[in-house]
Amino acid sequence: MSVGNTSFPRGKAAIAGIGCTEFSKNSGVTTFTLAVRAIKAAVADAGLAVEDIDGLATFGVNDSISPNVLAQALGIQNMNFFLDQYFGGSVSLSVLGAASLAVSAGVANCVVVYRALNGRSQVRLNGANAAPSRQPWDIQFKMAQGYTIPAQEMAMYARSHMLRYGTRSEDLGRIAVLSRTNAVDNDRAMMKGRPLTLDDYLASPMVADPFHLFDICLETDGAVAIVVTSTERAGDLPHRPVKIQGAAWGGGISMVNNGYTDLAVSPGKAVAEKVYANAGIGPSEIDFAEFYDCFTYPVLSQLEGYGFAEPGGVPDMLQDGIFDRAGGQLPIQTHGGLLSEGYIHGINHVFEAVQQIRGDAAHRQVARHDVGLVTGQLGYISGYSSACLLVGG
Amino acid sequence: MKEHRVKPIPNMDTAAYFGALADGRLMATHCGDCSHWTWPPRPVCSRCHGENLSLDTVRGTGAIYSWIVVHRSTTPDMMEYVPYTLALVRLDEQDDIYIPGRLLSDVEAFRGMRVQADPKKIGENIGDVIWKAIESDLPVSP
Repeated sequence: MSVGNTSFPRGKAAIAGIGCTEFSKNSGVTTFTLAVRAIKAAVADAGLAVEDIDGLATFGVNDSISPNVLAQALGIQNMNFFLDQYFGGSVSLSVLGAASLAVSAGVANCVVVYRALNGRSQVRLNGANAAPSRQPWDIQFKMAQGYTIPAQEMAMYARSHMLRYGTRSEDLGRIAVLSRTNAVDNDRAMMKGRPLTLDDYLASPMVADPFHLFDICLETDGAVAIVVTSTERAGDLPHRPVKIQGAAWGGGISMVNNGYTDLAVSPGKAVAEKVYANAGIGPSEIDFAEFYDCFTYPVLSQLEGYGFAEPGGVPDMLQDGIFDRAGGQLPIQTHGGLLSEGYIHGINHVFEAVQQIRGDAAHRQVARHDVGLVTGQLGYISGYSSACLLVGG
Repeated sequence: MKEHRVKPIPNMDTAAYFGALADGRLMATHCGDCSHWTWPPRPVCSRCHGENLSLDTVRGTGAIYSWIVVHRSTTPDMMEYVPYTLALVRLDEQDDIYIPGRLLSDVEAFRGMRVQADPKKIGENIGDVIWKAIESDLPVSP
């Protein structure tokens, strides 16, 4: 079985532009409009024009807008690459990885990766939808008993970690507080100016015990777009190129991919090994990380799976400030993450990582910011995961 | 029977499975070549990739591996039970099969709690898994 591939086209493609809309509870516009606005902003940020786009790539499990619809609307006639990947946060970084491969192979010159959703006002992931959405295959075996919300599934795995390692609610709470602390001064964040204490967390209502309300991310309306082009070309554009040094696709542990007998093991481990091998970079060389954080527990699990902590070791490290944005050895969730900035299905993590690597993160700027790890949902739901390693050019 | 509003839409792979649940039986895909069990029911054996499969009734016993307590539900049929325990049960037949279901028990869930499937009908030829705590002398598995 192959674990990574050293012939990955390391750093041949780079992110040259980023754009986003406001993140809100009610955008008042369609996902079509949100995507158009984010794409135009990203292309302008890159110093390019809409006419330069020859590839569009997105993903979605709830609401979305397809690349072909946008290409037609934007009058793009020379499309060279497109991808509309089914599924959610687990594939968020696989789409960026695919765009980097297309550019590295010379198939396309300028691929815009985007995600647009009205995740609060229209198609909610808790099943209370205003409109029908395509559902994961295994939901039919869970829906009747009310086991339909991702929070419930992740809470089930969090419990298995608690049983194995003695992990407590306050340990998860410290992840919620860390994320919120990083969002409070972030202008993009839904939770800007709204601090959270550990007491607030512990006093918040249970949703799916052991998950409190503040273990759960924010249903959000908004869009983010990322411009991927060759690193060579990005060197002639306004910003510091953010090279896609490695990308990886991998499997994770879910309830229905039979063969796994220990659900407390981090499913992030499999894809971590691959992305490190593909990029030729290990955890000790990473300056900061943005972990997919649909809930608190996946952050803890990924810190183990990506090799930053021994199993069961995260709670002490949180208390020691290892992961704090200010002064921590490995700052994480520097914008507040999905938990406190907003849920743009993980593509807002890429936006933040690019700002950090460019040195454009203002008061959120971390001290060392040349190498950033960005991950997709760790693989509990869908059985997929994905990750990218980004390096300043 | 109380007809559920939220229920699966059976297809050729799953109709017999959901129908058996409606009749009170829990079934899983059983491989005729390598004896491996697969759940949820699928058209291929996860181990040998063969298609010589039958849908066989399992003993229906297992042990709780993990659980959550649902305090908020968005499933209309389940709101009357809130808060209720959803248990993830490791089936006795095979240690990589986990089946979720609402737990009926006089005591709080714990890892290793012995349970028995008690499926109930929720629609025409459609049933759902419910787990019932049972008295047992079996050792609690780690």
